[in-house]
Parts: sequence; structure tokens; C-alpha cells
Amino acid sequence: MKMIWKAIPIRIGREFGPSLLGILPIAGVLMLPACITLKAPEKPIEINLNVKVQQEVIVRLQKDAQDLISNNPELFPQ
Amino acid sequence: MTRKTLIIAAALGVIATGLVLSGPARAQTGVIVAAMTNGTVGEQSDGYLGIAGTASADVRSEVEAINIKRRAAYTDLAAKRGVTVADAAVATGCQTLANRVKPGQVYRIGAGAWQTRSAGAITLPGYCSTAG
Repeated sequence: MKMIWKAIPIRIGREFGPSLLGILPIAGVLMLPACITLKAPEKPIEINLNVKVQQEVIVRLQKDAQDLISNNPELFPQ
Repeated sequence: MTRKTLIIAAALGVIATGLVLSGPARAQTGVIVAAMTNGTVGEQSDGYLGIAGTASADVRSEVEAINIKRRAAYTDLAAKRGVTVADAAVATGCQTLANRVKPGQVYRIGAGAWQTRSAGAITLPGYCSTAG
């Protein structure tokens, strides 16, 4: 079983009110470092759940395995 | 030859056949038990018997015979539960390591080296329990 999570681009920015219009050209330059853009990675992030699923199967079979051994003693010499 | 003689001869024949069939079967089980006691044969985490080091042809053929029968039993269980034969075998391997291998007997986990069980319990592979 595989789950594929795709990262969503997140943009963090700031908005300035109209009162700041006068200094907008300067602010625009100053604002640049405050803008952080996270880009989605090229490849999707994969989380492999195979190990967990197989373990659950093994654990679930323990009672059956016990029965199998006690029902076939000739196959399980000690 | 009278009819009575024939019946006795037939009866003797049946008894002799029984001895021939049961004799080796008993001896073979004994061969495996002896091999497990002296550390030549042991349980593996994959659910099958394995040979540690060298073993006689008798022991090898008996290990093979038992493993073929085990595979048949695992195949039945796998079909019943909708899992792979390997999963059924590995699940049984957890049980043999936990409950069947006695102190002094040898066992093997995965492709690791053969180990001799000490007085304490065998450290089972993580997949054998939910805690792992």
C-alpha cells in the first residue's frame, strides 16, 4: 500500500494598507526579503507502509500458527 | 498347502510389511530429534528446518521431507486466510522460535548465523509482535 502526498506551495507575504502607498516603491524593495515562497518538490513524497502491513499479517496469524503446530506434531519434532 | 497355512502365511506377510514400513519412519523421526539435540538441525525464522553445518544423507533427506510437508501445511493456512505462503511460514517461524526451540538447540533468524539458545528466551524478530 502506498500513499502519495503532494506538497502544496505555500506563499507567505504581507499586505500593506493604502496609507503606505507613498513609500511603496521603497517598501517594495524592502519587502522582497520578507516574501518566502515554498515550492513543491519535483517528486511526490512517498510513505511506504508495506512493512507495517506485513507485520500485522504475521501477528494476526499467530493463533493459526500455534494450531498448525499442535495439529501436525510429526512436522515439528523437538 | 492347506488353507489354514495360507492364512497364516498371509498374516505373517502383513505383519512383516507393517514392520518394514513403520521401522524406518520411527528411525527417521529419531534421526531428526538426535540431529536437533546435537545442533546439526534447527528451526529457522522462515518456518522451516535448516541444517547447521554438515549432516548425513539420512538427516538431509528427512529435513527435506519435513519441509515439503510443512510447505503443504503453510499453503493450506495461506489459502484459508488469504495471505502468502511465506507469511504463513514466517508466522509459524515466530512460534517455533518462541515455543519449540529448547535451550542448547540451534536456531537461525533470517540469513544470520546459527545460534544456540541459552537458558533465556530467544529474542524474536520485531515482526512477531505488535510491540516490535
